[in-house]
Amino acid sequence: MSSLPNWTHEETEARLTDYLEGLLQPEEQRAFDAHISSCAQCGALLGSVSHLLTDLHSLDEIEPPPRLIYAILDKTLGPRETVTGWRAAFGWLRTLANPRVGYGFASVVATFLIVVSSSTFSWRKPRLADLKPATIYRHADQQVHLVYARGAKFVSDLRVVYEIQSRLSQDDQQIPAQDRSRRQPAPKGDPGSSDGTNPSSPKQQNRANGIERNLQMLAADLPLFVERRMR
Amino acid sequence: MEQDAQLVQQCLQGDGSAWEELVRRHTRRIYNICYRFTGNGAEAEDLSQDVFLRVYKTLGSYRSVYGGFATWMTSVTRNLLIDHYRRTKRDRVTDSLDDAMPVVENKASSARRPDELALLGELSSQIQVALTKLSPELREAVILRDLQQLEYGEIQRTLSVPEGTVKSRINRGRIELARILQQMGVGPS
Repeated sequence: MSSLPNWTHEETEARLTDYLEGLLQPEEQRAFDAHISSCAQCGALLGSVSHLLTDLHSLDEIEPPPRLIYAILDKTLGPRETVTGWRAAFGWLRTLANPRVGYGFASVVATFLIVVSSSTFSWRKPRLADLKPATIYRHADQQVHLVYARGAKFVSDLRVVYEIQSRLSQDDQQIPAQDRSRRQPAPKGDPGSSDGTNPSSPKQQNRANGIERNLQMLAADLPLFVERRMR
Repeated sequence: MEQDAQLVQQCLQGDGSAWEELVRRHTRRIYNICYRFTGNGAEAEDLSQDVFLRVYKTLGSYRSVYGGFATWMTSVTRNLLIDHYRRTKRDRVTDSLDDAMPVVENKASSARRPDELALLGELSSQIQVALTKLSPELREAVILRDLQQLEYGEIQRTLSVPEGTVKSRINRGRIELARILQQMGVGPS
């Protein structure tokens, strides 16, 4: 076993930080420990420095004054413009130039127009009573029901038209096929006249009558549609 | 780090908000270095403003390959502090414990008892007084290592001295600070 080198006070002091941060080699570590254990002066110094490090690391950061950031910005970017009088009073209006504010405002206006338009509010003869929430709600409710009823009727009409179209196309396909298979002579009498017999069952007859009624109603409601069909 | 470099690029392109963000990110750190070095709130405030003014003017000379923006800024701060120290050397009067200004600590980060807070406040003042009695070379080394928690490499780049010199200054600074505090009656019980 090799003998430990004898370090002086100066050598020990010079390696104090390395010792505290664990940077000494094993050989140096033993020499340091040997000196500290035999030297009260260096032992006390090690205790003081170790205690100092604990104190330094426990210190919190100091809070800078809040004005410091603004002072720095003023000094670098230049002083900020201080607005007084009417410009200061209406300075907040500048925020409305923001596109987000514009979109939000436009959506609010659009919603208001839609709600008011759905009521019976007249733009030519505006009345304050028409703008009461209860009135707007009642009129809007009526409008909604009316629109729903019209929509339901329109869908029903479309179904009738579709049914008629499908029946007509079905008949067009059936008649030539029957002519070919039966090769019956042409019916006597005028074209379109009935021979007095009932070719269909009562159920089919009722359905045909219903379609005829629906067609009449549809002709009354949708004259343009009928005209186009006729053409 | 990368965010700092990005903000610097935006600043160089004339983006004022990027500069404002840089100021907000680094003001506390720079102010703390200045305060710990000078021991005076008003001087620390003035010096912090000077640091940012110089950084703003020389932002174009910053190169990220030389180290992080924070290290570069710390280096600017250190140079200004040394200049300030030399400029005010003649006017400086020796501080005493009675003249030490009370320090307002940031207590939001810790939840300590009032007696602990009072003790820490007093300890902070005593350490501050002891720090100002160190030579500027040792003082800055201790501040950067033990208060700013910088690595040796960062301190080396900040002070532009070899790593051996950095270690030596930190070691001597700690020993001298411990002795000053012992003379002031502050030390291990």
